[in-house]
Amino acid sequence: MEVKVLFFGVLTDIAGTNIKSYRDVNSLSDLKHRIEDNFPEIVHYDFRISLNNTIIENDPLLKDGDEIALMPPFAGG
Amino acid sequence: MKKYLKDGPLTVAMIGDLLSGTENTSKSGGHSVFLGQVRSDEIGGEKVTAIEYSAYESMVNAEADKIIEEISVKFPDVRSTRILHSVGVVKAGEFSLLVLVSAGHRREAIDACSMTVELIKERLPVWKKEILNDDSAVWKNNT
Repeated sequence: MEVKVLFFGVLTDIAGTNIKSYRDVNSLSDLKHRIEDNFPEIVHYDFRISLNNTIIENDPLLKDGDEIALMPPFAGG
Repeated sequence: MKKYLKDGPLTVAMIGDLLSGTENTSKSGGHSVFLGQVRSDEIGGEKVTAIEYSAYESMVNAEADKIIEEISVKFPDVRSTRILHSVGVVKAGEFSLLVLVSAGHRREAIDACSMTVELIKERLPVWKKEILNDDSAVWKNNT
């Protein structure tokens, strides 16, 4: 299975990209650890996480094709 | 297709098109418009010359749909709510946000427009990078 992770705002600078795919991740917490291993600096930033366009705060299991977005505080307007 | 997002600044022509759509709509008694403009702030002695907006488009569409629905429930007098937000580079002095609310009566139009702007600030997944006149750039959060 493969999931897509989108980075927004300042996190695009931290990750050096705005999109990255991860394979064989079971849960969101598993994915977060993988992202932190890739980009250790990310732990210093405040962000929320959405799964398929909905902000989540729990630790769901992930399935093939899921889209996860890491979103710093919004700044529209 | 971009539903709520426009590449670059919102032009007077775009705004005019939206406003002209409100003519001859006899069910509305008033329209309230909010225009957001890029302000030339000063940061550490450098002036902001532009803002580069980025957005999570699919979530902007989903969230703006929800905001418009919530406004119509809270203000039953509202006939329509339109939202346009820029993505990409918008120079200081140019427009980046338009909210147009049409209602049967002025008070509802004004109140619903004001609430829509607040909900956009709070809930639309949009980010901005301020570009300064020395070509450096700073990510900015809403305050």
